[in-house]
Amino acid sequence: MPHICSSSRRRFLQSSIGGAAAIGIGTAVPACFTQAAEHTVASVERILIVVQMSGGNDGLNTVVPYADDAYKAARPKLGIAASRVLKCNDDVGLHPSMSGLHDLLQDGKLSVVQAVGYEQPNRSHFEAMDIWHTCRRKEESRADGWLGRFLDSQPAKLGGDVPALHLGREQQPFAIASRSIRVPTIKELAEFQLQGQDRQALRSLLSNSLPAVETESNDLLNFLQSSTTSALAASQRVTAASQDYRSDVKYPETELSRKLRVIAQLIDAGLNTRVYYVQLDGFDTHAQQAATHEVLLREWSDAVSALVRDLHIQGHGERVCVMTFSEFGRRVAENASEGTDHGAAGPMFLCGGGLKGGIIGQRPNLTDLQEGDVKHEIDFRQVYASVIRDWMKADPTPILGHSYDSLPLFA
Amino acid sequence: MNELNSVDPKWAWLPFEPTSDQPWNQTLAAHLFRRAGFGADLATLDVAVKQSPAEVVEQLVLRNTEANDFRAAADTLAETVLAGGDPKQLSAAWVYRLLFTPNQLLEKMTLFWHGHFATGAEKVQDARMMWNQNQFLRQHALGDFHELTQKISQDPAMLVYLDSAINRKAHPNENFARELMELFCLGEGNYGEKDVLELARCFTGWEVKGKQFRKNRYQHDSEAKTILGQSGNFDGEDGVRIVLEQPQLEQFLARKWFRFFVCDEPQPSAELLQPLADAFRQHDLQVAPALTMLLKSNIFFSKHALGRKIKSPVELMLGTLRSLQATTNTQLLASGLLAIGQGLFYPPNVKGWDGGRTWINSSTLLGRANLFGKILENSATRFDGKSLTEALRNLGVRTADTAIGHFAKCLLAVPLSDVTKSELRQTYQNQTGDEEQKLRSLLHAITSLPQSQLG
Repeated sequence: MPHICSSSRRRFLQSSIGGAAAIGIGTAVPACFTQAAEHTVASVERILIVVQMSGGNDGLNTVVPYADDAYKAARPKLGIAASRVLKCNDDVGLHPSMSGLHDLLQDGKLSVVQAVGYEQPNRSHFEAMDIWHTCRRKEESRADGWLGRFLDSQPAKLGGDVPALHLGREQQPFAIASRSIRVPTIKELAEFQLQGQDRQALRSLLSNSLPAVETESNDLLNFLQSSTTSALAASQRVTAASQDYRSDVKYPETELSRKLRVIAQLIDAGLNTRVYYVQLDGFDTHAQQAATHEVLLREWSDAVSALVRDLHIQGHGERVCVMTFSEFGRRVAENASEGTDHGAAGPMFLCGGGLKGGIIGQRPNLTDLQEGDVKHEIDFRQVYASVIRDWMKADPTPILGHSYDSLPLFA
Repeated sequence: MNELNSVDPKWAWLPFEPTSDQPWNQTLAAHLFRRAGFGADLATLDVAVKQSPAEVVEQLVLRNTEANDFRAAADTLAETVLAGGDPKQLSAAWVYRLLFTPNQLLEKMTLFWHGHFATGAEKVQDARMMWNQNQFLRQHALGDFHELTQKISQDPAMLVYLDSAINRKAHPNENFARELMELFCLGEGNYGEKDVLELARCFTGWEVKGKQFRKNRYQHDSEAKTILGQSGNFDGEDGVRIVLEQPQLEQFLARKWFRFFVCDEPQPSAELLQPLADAFRQHDLQVAPALTMLLKSNIFFSKHALGRKIKSPVELMLGTLRSLQATTNTQLLASGLLAIGQGLFYPPNVKGWDGGRTWINSSTLLGRANLFGKILENSATRFDGKSLTEALRNLGVRTADTAIGHFAKCLLAVPLSDVTKSELRQTYQNQTGDEEQKLRSLLHAITSLPQSQLG
């Protein structure tokens, strides 16, 4: 396992332990813990980064069945010609703007899972997203998300780092809602600290005035108090962890790239955070899809491939997996506005050094549709099960509610 | 702990009558103004407690039209901003209304409808259309839900936002039809996929030309449709009418109002909501009578409601300012609201803001504290037109202890513990600088407490 820069690691540990003690959580950090931490090699735990394409990505124009006549017939205007796709095999090719991911595919660092979905697909953005986030239908109780349940299944660590982090301006995704852990959302590192002339006083006030145990009968107040503790703790750790980062990889000037670079910084600083979550919005392409979709796919592909290359150079390539999904694919037939409406199954993407790589599953059968949409061949929970079992090394069955076999994704 | 749903639905919606156990006082009046508006200063509360709760509610509901001079001033400001064409600047014009309006419930409901019929400037990209929609929502905020829904279906900003502007006969675009049923009127599960397709056909040919709504009869599908069990050669108005006839509608709105006005959690049962839902339908979907019933009710003034909501960014910031008669730089406030999750004209998506616990995460909590910090450091921030020191002195507040008591009375829905009070005293004493700086730091500290986030 690669070691990380020991000076930044030490600095980080000092500040994070100091931070934890200063704000009164895990107040009694024993000296032996500090020493042990100092001598521990870099974190070796595997990391999952989830990229959510919000709005419903058009899978058929992402992984293009360029040789299929049914595809050409359904997409007279939006169809991508065989001469333009970045070919993966005799069946399918990637959208022409996805050269970054195509390179990863050649290197065996990209696995594409085709026609992923579930029974009785829902075409509402919110309901479909909730199904992907919770693995539960709306008739069932939904208190937490699948990643939240994964976090809950892990042993709690005193004075440990935040187990998961959401980067973005959006509302926190349901997938990381957990019963026992408050996952922080951060927009950018600079914002993630108290500001103003009186910040020191404010920090100590907020730390000292919080009750040690929850005694109030008001659940919302308890929630706000634990959230405040979590905010103060996470802020110190993240600020400390992001210092001293150097990278030779040039990330594109996009929002997603910026977020993924922050994640690379945090991973390189040795943060024990195991799950990172980012979103890229705008995939709800009901009209004039071609130009918008091209920009989005380029932003995504360039950002993810830069991250994977950077992590490889920094020595973390073998322990980070980037998984991309969307709440549904889009209808096979284009609409009259040169766009596509809400559909069903679509492809998922996993990138990183620990994968087998390649195209998994059959290309969608466009002559056997369900209300005009692609039928799923692989249940999304099979992908989740593979990630939880084979990558994160946990038991997926209680997390997903049923037993699912793994797909041949990981090496 | 789901005791909310053991409440008798009949008792819940009867008008609240003050008793010796639960007298009508500043605490309850402050609750009413926080929920039905954006908070009230002490003088307003003093007037309110001399009336009955029912009278105060009726006045809030009756004040359903802006006075001419206020409207003129607010609109002039908006027009200046509109000349620039940037919707981000427009947020500040709305902040002006939120800060100064005498029509608190009207403005609160305008904000409610903005989240309900959520339309985002990010996609619409046109400040004028966004502003026209805002004026329309204000005009009907306490009016007729039929009219509100019929007209929002023809609102240019909405048409652009949900792609109905390109909904053509040959290929109906489902976006608006789906959200009309799922998010505006009925809720998921109360319609089928076939209904979405058929309803979308009703709206074909409804488009925007020169920023105005128009019907393009060449693009309209005038053939027969079947929606929610009714068949006919329906157009868009028929489609909306059929959706509004569905009995799930009144429960859907009652549930949303309950969460907006009464408490974040737990979820109320359908039985508890039924009397409110029934009243809304009996009044032929008039908003004002339903809200009057809600705001006068036992449940609204009960322990299930008091302090049982997490304030939205707008409620927190504007509520604090209004309760202290404070004014500030509206641009600073408008951009700050966007950063902590409630940009006006920038809802996160067509579902609007989810509210409750979703307002809160590490980033927004620190952001709330930092925004107060910025506002309190800004020299444009005045209290009743004066410095904070002077304003407090005029109210007879001269010591740290009385200042803590005053702020708690004006701003908080839950009491402070003795530990917290003594920490606040420390904060005040340790702060260097003049009296004004010390008082502003004290206020910054109080507004950043977890207790301040409850309303």
